[in-house]
Amino acid sequence: MFDLETSIVDWRRQMLAAGIQSPVPLEELEIHLREDIERQMKSGLNAQRAFEDAIQDIGKANMLKSEFEKVDATKAANQLKQCRIVMVACLGVESLFWTTCLLLKIGRFSEITAAQQMSGLAAVAVMILLAGIGLFGHGPVILSRKVKALICTSNGRLVGLLWAWFFCYITGPVGFLFMLPKFDGGPLWIMLPPAGILFGFIGGLEKAALKKTAMADLSASQS
Amino acid sequence: MIRKELVAASAEPLILSLLSRGESYGYAIIQEVKVRSDGKLQWTDGMLYPVLHRMAHRGLIKSRWGESETGRKRKYYSLKKDGKAAMANHHEQWSLVHAVLAGLRKEQYV
Repeated sequence: MFDLETSIVDWRRQMLAAGIQSPVPLEELEIHLREDIERQMKSGLNAQRAFEDAIQDIGKANMLKSEFEKVDATKAANQLKQCRIVMVACLGVESLFWTTCLLLKIGRFSEITAAQQMSGLAAVAVMILLAGIGLFGHGPVILSRKVKALICTSNGRLVGLLWAWFFCYITGPVGFLFMLPKFDGGPLWIMLPPAGILFGFIGGLEKAALKKTAMADLSASQS
Repeated sequence: MIRKELVAASAEPLILSLLSRGESYGYAIIQEVKVRSDGKLQWTDGMLYPVLHRMAHRGLIKSRWGESETGRKRKYYSLKKDGKAAMANHHEQWSLVHAVLAGLRKEQYV
């Protein structure tokens, strides 16, 4: 004897098993399924036939799962886009800060030679270049969200550690601009290019996530 | 029946255009498309929801939970400002494609 509620519970279980685990999409799909069944029963079909037609209309679980994966890719791309905006702002402020310090020979940069000044400016330029390649050129294609998160975190920590080392052990923890009179442009080379790689890498990840979404769209339309 | 590629490409402009008339929900959107295309534009029902969710994540549409006349829970979707701009963009592009096709077709029969 056919039982509609039991059949819907079974269908739900199949969807969960196939990987549609987010509560919102599954709830929406179930509401849709019930509306379809109700409409078909009103038009004269029995419950079993209406249910069978409705699950056919709604589609197979594996197909739906791949579509919902594209939603996740879009979500990841949006998060990385926001991250990129912050990165571009930070890059702008940082570049302006170091360029101003070097050009105007502020604080501990006051005694730098012309060669050290040029070297420091070159380090700033390399940082901008490295960041630009990732932010506006071609970024790496990494599909796993976990790997992306790991890379962002480890890159962030690496740059953070370098900066901490720079401020604490080379320039002193307080008043780094004015405490010590001499400055060797070398530390900027240690600090700024990795920052550029970080900025660029995060920008590249966003582009890669967007590319993945576009590729998924294309493959879905061709299947 | 319309080709899959065209069905996929037309999903977003159709959803945006339907929502520009007021908020709606998944089932009604599918029914409306079926009726307006005389059943020739067939979506797999479940495929609509990932598309709606992606459009929501892109800031084109927004959603809210509500209730149907019978008290059943429903998720209603409506257009956002960016969605209106995207719709205008789609209309412009589809109109251009249509104009080119119509022009070429006309030439064939002249």
